[in-house]
Amino acid sequence: MVRFISPFWLAIVLFGLQSYSSLGQSLLDALDTEPTAHPVTATFKDTRVINMQSNETPGAGVLHFVIAHRFGRINEGAYSLWGLDNASMRMGFDYGLTDRWTLGVGRSTFQKTYEASIKGKLFLQKSDNSVPVSVTYYSVIMANGLRWQEPDRENLFSSRLSYVNQLIVTRKINDRTSLAVVPSFIHRNLVDITSKSHDQWTLGLGGRHKLTHRVSINSEYHFLVNGLDEATTNSLSLGVDIETGGHVFQLHITNSQGMFERAFLTETTGRWLDGDLFFGFNLSRVFS
Amino acid sequence: MKNTLTFLVLLLCSAASTLDAQQFISREGHVRFFSSTPLEDIEAETVQMSAILDAGKNGGFAFQIPILTFHFDKALMEEHFNESYLESEKHPRATFEGAILNWEELNPTGGWQDVVTSGNLNVHGVSLTRTIQGQMQFNAGSWEIRAQFDVLTADHEIRIPKMVRNQIAESITVYVDAVLTPR
Repeated sequence: MVRFISPFWLAIVLFGLQSYSSLGQSLLDALDTEPTAHPVTATFKDTRVINMQSNETPGAGVLHFVIAHRFGRINEGAYSLWGLDNASMRMGFDYGLTDRWTLGVGRSTFQKTYEASIKGKLFLQKSDNSVPVSVTYYSVIMANGLRWQEPDRENLFSSRLSYVNQLIVTRKINDRTSLAVVPSFIHRNLVDITSKSHDQWTLGLGGRHKLTHRVSINSEYHFLVNGLDEATTNSLSLGVDIETGGHVFQLHITNSQGMFERAFLTETTGRWLDGDLFFGFNLSRVFS
Repeated sequence: MKNTLTFLVLLLCSAASTLDAQQFISREGHVRFFSSTPLEDIEAETVQMSAILDAGKNGGFAFQIPILTFHFDKALMEEHFNESYLESEKHPRATFEGAILNWEELNPTGGWQDVVTSGNLNVHGVSLTRTIQGQMQFNAGSWEIRAQFDVLTADHEIRIPKMVRNQIAESITVYVDAVLTPR
C-alpha cells in the first residue's frame, strides 16, 4: 500500500489541486478569512441606564459631563405643577483615564451629597461569543454634606460616608436590545437606628431597546435582598434615551428621588401604584 | 529514479502554471477617509484592508475593508459611524471587485503609472459600478498601489439626519494605499 503514495502520485494530486484552485473563483473569495472577533460596542447609549450605571465608559481622554434633574412628587398635583416646582439636581464629571477606566466626581443637592467613583471594564463581550457578557466594576464613596443634627456632641467625619460596590454584567443581545444584571453591596458607616444593618445587598435588572438609531426605551429595577422596611420600596424606573449628535437626553419616571447609588438602591420610598413618582432627566455631553 | 524524474517535471509544470496566474496580495492595506465641512473635520483610518491582484491577462483586482476596524480620534464619532451611519454589524465590510482596464499596457520597470480600474464598489450593502483612477508601480517584487476617490453618502443609502448635515460632508474622500506581495 505504501508504494502508492509515491512522489509521482503526490505530484499528480498537487498539480490537480493547483489547477483547480485557479479556476472559477472570485477574487473576493480569496480574500475572505474568518472574521476576527471584536469587542461588542454601544451596549448602552450612555454611562447610565437610568439611575444605575451601565457598562459604558467615556473612553481615554474624554470628559463626560452630566447634569441631572429630579422633580418633586407627581401626585402633589396641580398646586406644585405635578412636582415641577421642586427640582433637585446632580452634577457629575467623569474622566476617562484609559478606554476602560474612569474616575468620577459628583454632587447632588439631595442630602448635599458628594461622590467620588471609579469604574472599570473588566471583561468585554466579544462578537464571536467567546466572552458572552461584559463585566464592569463600579465603586463609589458618598459623603453626606448636611450640617450635623447635634453639632454639640463629638461627630466623626467617617460617619458621613457610605460605599457602594457593584458588578455590572451586560449583554448586547442584538443590535437593538441589551440587558444588564447588577448585584450591589451597600455599606453605611453610620445607621440611624442601631438595630439596622450597616450592610445591604441589592440585585438590579436593566435593559434598553432601541426604537430607532437615536431613540431607545430603557427600564431598571432593584430588588432589596435583605427585605424592605415599612417606608422603603424597590426602585423601578422607566425612561427614554434621545441622542442628538453630541448630547444624550435621558427622560424618565421613577419612584426614587436620590440620584446617587446608596439613595436610589436603598432609600426609595415612592409607590408606583399611588402615583408617588418623580419625573427627571439626565443631559450628558462629552468633551474631548 | 523514473518516478523522481516524473515528479520533478510535474512539479516544474505546476510551478509554471502558478506563475502564469500569479497573484499578489496584501492583508494590511491602509485606508483613510476624510469628511470636511466648515464646522467639523472628521477623519478615520484602518490598516486592515486586504487586497488582491491577479497578474493574469485581465488584471483582476479586489479589496475588502472591515468597517469596524476604522479608528476615529473621538470615541463618540466611532460609535455613531458604526451604529448609525455604516451599520457595521449588518454590513461588516466594504468591498471592491473589478479589473485594471489598462493592465496590459503597464510597464513593471516604469515607476508609478496611472491606472484605471472598473468594478463594483459595495459600501453599506449598496453596490455601485465605479471607475476609479489610481497609480501603481512594481517595486522589489511587489506591486504598490495608491488611489483616491469620493464616496457619496446618499449613493450608498447612508442616512444623515438634518441636524448634523452641516457637520458631515455629503461626499467623503477615501485614500487607499497598499503593498501587494506575491501570494
